[in-house]
Amino acid sequence: MSRPGLVLEVDERTPPLLVCEGEGFRLEQLPHGTRVVYPPTSLPGIRDLDAAIERALREPHGSEPLSALLRPGMRLTIVFDDLSLPLPPMRSPDVRQRIIEHVLELAAAHRVDDVELVAANALHRRMTPAELRHVVGDRVFRSFFPHHLRNHDAEDRENLVHLGQTGHGEDVEINRRAAESDLVVYVNITLVAMNGGAKSVSVGLASYRSLRHHHNVDTLQHSRSFNDPTHSAMHRSYDRMQDLIGGQVKVFTIETALNNDAFPRSLGFLSKREWEWNAADQAAFVGARRGSRLLPPALRRRAFHRVAAPWGVTSVAAGAPSAVHPITLRHVHRQQVTPVAGQADIGVFGVPYLCPYNVNSVMNPILVASMGLGYLFNMYLNKPIVRRGGVGIFYHPLPNAFHTVHHPSYLDFYEDVLSQSTDPAVVESKFEEQFATDPWYVHLYRRSYAYHGVHPFYMWYWCAHAMEHLGDVIFVGADPTVAARLGFRAASTLDDALQMASHTVGSSPEITYLHAPPLTLAAVS
Amino acid sequence: MPRSYAVTSLEGAHVLLTGATGFIGQAVLERLLADHPDTRVSLLLRGRGGCGGRDRLVRLLRKDVFRRWHERPGGDEELAEAARRVRVVEGDLESVRGLPGDLDTVIHCASAVTFDPPVDQAFGANVAGAVRLCQELAHQATPPHLVYVSTAYVSAPGHGRVREEPLRHTVDWRQELASGESARAETERDSRRPEVLRRLSREARRAHAPGGNQVVAGHTEEARRAWVAERLVAYGRARANSLGWTDVYTFTKALAERATEESWAGRPLTVLRPAIVESALRHPYPGWIDGHKMLDPLIIDYGTGAMWDLPGDPDAVLDLIPVDLVVNAILAAAAAPAPPDAPHYFHVGSGAGNPLTYGALHDHLRAYFDRHPLPDPRGRGHLRHARWRFQSAARVRTALDLADRAATTAGSALEWLPGGARTQERERRLRHHRGELARQRHYFEVYQPYTGAQGRYDDRELMALHRAQPPELAAGRGFDPRGLDWRDYLEEVHCPAVTRRLRDAMSLRGASAGRGHGAGRALPAATDAAAVFDLDGTVVAADMVESYLWARLASGSLPGHLAELLDLARTVPRYLRAERTDRAAFVRAFLRRYQGADAAALRALVPEALADALLRRVAPEAVRRVREHRAAGHRTVLVTGSLDVLVEPLRPLFDDIVACRMESRGGVLSGRLVEPPVVGEARAVWLREYAREQGLSLRNSYAYADSYSDRPFLAAVGRPCAVNPDLRLYRYAARRHWPVVRWGAHVGNRWEVLAETVRAGEASTATRSYA
Repeated sequence: MSRPGLVLEVDERTPPLLVCEGEGFRLEQLPHGTRVVYPPTSLPGIRDLDAAIERALREPHGSEPLSALLRPGMRLTIVFDDLSLPLPPMRSPDVRQRIIEHVLELAAAHRVDDVELVAANALHRRMTPAELRHVVGDRVFRSFFPHHLRNHDAEDRENLVHLGQTGHGEDVEINRRAAESDLVVYVNITLVAMNGGAKSVSVGLASYRSLRHHHNVDTLQHSRSFNDPTHSAMHRSYDRMQDLIGGQVKVFTIETALNNDAFPRSLGFLSKREWEWNAADQAAFVGARRGSRLLPPALRRRAFHRVAAPWGVTSVAAGAPSAVHPITLRHVHRQQVTPVAGQADIGVFGVPYLCPYNVNSVMNPILVASMGLGYLFNMYLNKPIVRRGGVGIFYHPLPNAFHTVHHPSYLDFYEDVLSQSTDPAVVESKFEEQFATDPWYVHLYRRSYAYHGVHPFYMWYWCAHAMEHLGDVIFVGADPTVAARLGFRAASTLDDALQMASHTVGSSPEITYLHAPPLTLAAVS
Repeated sequence: MPRSYAVTSLEGAHVLLTGATGFIGQAVLERLLADHPDTRVSLLLRGRGGCGGRDRLVRLLRKDVFRRWHERPGGDEELAEAARRVRVVEGDLESVRGLPGDLDTVIHCASAVTFDPPVDQAFGANVAGAVRLCQELAHQATPPHLVYVSTAYVSAPGHGRVREEPLRHTVDWRQELASGESARAETERDSRRPEVLRRLSREARRAHAPGGNQVVAGHTEEARRAWVAERLVAYGRARANSLGWTDVYTFTKALAERATEESWAGRPLTVLRPAIVESALRHPYPGWIDGHKMLDPLIIDYGTGAMWDLPGDPDAVLDLIPVDLVVNAILAAAAAPAPPDAPHYFHVGSGAGNPLTYGALHDHLRAYFDRHPLPDPRGRGHLRHARWRFQSAARVRTALDLADRAATTAGSALEWLPGGARTQERERRLRHHRGELARQRHYFEVYQPYTGAQGRYDDRELMALHRAQPPELAAGRGFDPRGLDWRDYLEEVHCPAVTRRLRDAMSLRGASAGRGHGAGRALPAATDAAAVFDLDGTVVAADMVESYLWARLASGSLPGHLAELLDLARTVPRYLRAERTDRAAFVRAFLRRYQGADAAALRALVPEALADALLRRVAPEAVRRVREHRAAGHRTVLVTGSLDVLVEPLRPLFDDIVACRMESRGGVLSGRLVEPPVVGEARAVWLREYAREQGLSLRNSYAYADSYSDRPFLAAVGRPCAVNPDLRLYRYAARRHWPVVRWGAHVGNRWEVLAETVRAGEASTATRSYA
């Protein structure tokens, strides 16, 4: 059985604790009194996943069973979450593959011939054939690629449909094939509470015209947090859009929730509490740390990106999006929520090597910022773990490294935009339109494997709430030039960082360390 | 016993001054305007650079020598008023015409002052100029008093005292003048001899063959001209040395003295021989100097540590004299006309009355630079000054020879290293080092006769002239060097004056050190400009071999890969040789490897597998630059020797792509190009033609390339930029002050990209048919 989440107070008996810093780790002796937030230990995964999937399709929530929705001659589109989920990628077979195979079997049984599969990659880069194959499995890939298994193209004007505007004047424009299908089956993985639900179709299949209504500075500053849909302006916008889509397109969603088995046995120490490490974990830690220091950057990156996780699925639920999502969220919370009493003066976060946008790629400085100040900072319910005006201390070396194929606009954003302003509102008003409509970025997004030109802006807006909330941001172990370009400060050690922070929060601050991985959602009272 | 002199006044006199733009001439003019309000002045001034003689006077009046006037309230008006007394006679010593007919005094300061001019120029300016001036002055109703400013070193500084009297030699100046003037024609003829031209052509080809025939021809002609100039210098120096003079300057000045004595015989003549003239002691202000004089490079190189030793005798005398003392002597001598049959001779120096030894000079320099070291131009504190040990000339020469040889060897070795940033930095340092060595050798040649000299220039006649001045003038306009405090002059006046500009420049460079330089970001908008980019090595950090490998490896099986790699490895040396000599031949030969490929399959492979590899190896800086050009309204063009189909992924960036097109027969590539590749010299020709067709201004256009074979192409535009240049292009770009940039940060690793391409090829559906 899983043990509940834990808030550990560091004292003289506490061993040094693991902190991630990009493609490396360190054991940090945190100051006495520091509170460390751990999630509940990993929940057991569903043993007979195929049976659970079949049951979910047979007994959906708020909808007829899938088999009742299928009929010969209909247009069926199966949409699935792209490679940004889960992190790290799931060991084969991916749960999406297993669900898609079940859906296709049912479709075949009901003589549905017009079937297409679309990756809901929104403005993310296209998935390569190998990545698609990994997600949908060999059999489906061979049967459908390349003509009936495709990436969503948010710049293909011919294949987008404007469904109308919400009551708030938000444009809803999505993939034409999906919009004109008799049934859209959405296959989802909800890794964190932000994913799934109304977000799936309204974001995954949308275009810039639609996305800009919720992916903007104002909305994100009022999404507190974006992992708490009930308090998220962004999710309210998703809901409005989903209502509009739901009125025109029949969507049957299949959502899954995962446990916290995010790493294979060889990196098992990452998911364990440090005082429970056995000799093998200690040896693995030493080996991994030594190895990551010795390997040249390219090889080190490749080694990390080969990691596939033995995720366990804790929930499979199908039916109408609005009925299914609360069930999924309940399972996500069961795995990730740890109650924390009160806010601290300083929040400490270790930024790992991976975020949703650098799978098989480089985690560039903007992605590091978005992972730290966006994703990790927003892993809270009610209130951030740091008080307003407090200090965020993040661990990451912040190398000046970019993937030129995947992130071309990021590099220009770093060189041309951040050199002029780091204020999200200024950046948004002055540069967003230009990057979003730049023909070269559009070309690279459509024909190469580049993230859309506007994507770095979204990553920067992701940080807007943290930037507004925090009095100071310090990166430990970072390249000072890069940190300065991002508008942050760099410290070589935690002691230095605390010394620097003392100007903002005094010399005896309260500190909370959000231990990740595994993913922890702090419910701060 | 010195002669007795009657120093009168120049009041009411009409003075003609030659060489007014020179160091001494400027100071003489300033004193005439400042202290002789009733003296009329005529200047022999030649128009230059589109401005006439009068304009040059206006410019002259803005110079530092008149700084006191400009700083004084109402000074500018006073200067303009004083300048009304100045009449400009347009002309120079080659054509002296239109002189006023009422001249009382002529101060002839004009001469060629460098030590090593080509012999014809030295004779033309110094000897022939003096003769022509005398001929023209002979037309005056009353022969004016001619004050000829010579140099003390017309008498070789041997041993003992050199008296103030006519020179003792029997050299026939007419014959020497005739030979000197005809030397150029002879040397020009010699330089066109086949054996000379063949040698020069061979050397130019060895160094510049990749640049193409035009470049080689240009360098051959440049080398021929340099050969002529060098021969003319050597001619003069050899002749001067053979007759006992140290260099062609002192030789021609000595002959000019004799020519003047003969041409102006029976008329009043004063020959004034200053020693080494340096910055002003008091007038127009302490430390005034115009440019760097004989001693100053030595002082600077002492301060920077570059001049690590001075061969010679530390007890030898350095005969220095501040310029204002020389000016005072000139004006006093001008006011004391010589009898027509007995010219006056004066040495203006300090060696006799207040000698400064080289050892003492060293002590003063050390004291000065200890207190005021020069800033390091790289912004790392200060430089360490030299410490001279006055070693023997033979030892210094041996050390210089060895250092030269080591530098040459290092230069050759560099050519074999890959042309990365480190090689360029080494090359830059080596070039700097070689420049210093050449300068030291030059100083060594120039100063060596002086640093060993034990002679002194007697100044008894000058002192007699000094004493003959009215007592009220002696204090302000005296020229007795005996009162000179060398410590005060050198450490407080001269060294600060000489190093001032350098300090300013070095501090500025120090402040900007480490910021790097580049092509600059802001581009002026223009509709008639093109930005033309080379591909391999410039926009993409790859070459044709690499892109061929992508195409081949993405479409074959593993055994096929190995066979291909082995075959390529076997032929690479041949390709490298071809590329070093003829880029076009290399391109043609290499592209033949595509023979037999399925054209459609290759085209399909590009978006599936090759586009990624190409984009992974594209320099983001290049893409940004192309887009900046686009934003500025420039026409963006890619020009490459690669196959057109392979560069297709870059098409959205460029308005035009000029690439090789291959013949296809029945859908199979033949290995033959439809048109010759646009590489090497052909690229420059194409660019001119393209600019004409499109109505573009080459002067406003930009070109970016990495290889020396692109030199003619880069040189064809007004704004060239060397990107990741090979060593030869780097050397050339540095010489021409072209921007040099390094692009390619964040570019994917070559082997990683190859491996990814193989994987992408395996996943691609297009692979089946191309291989």
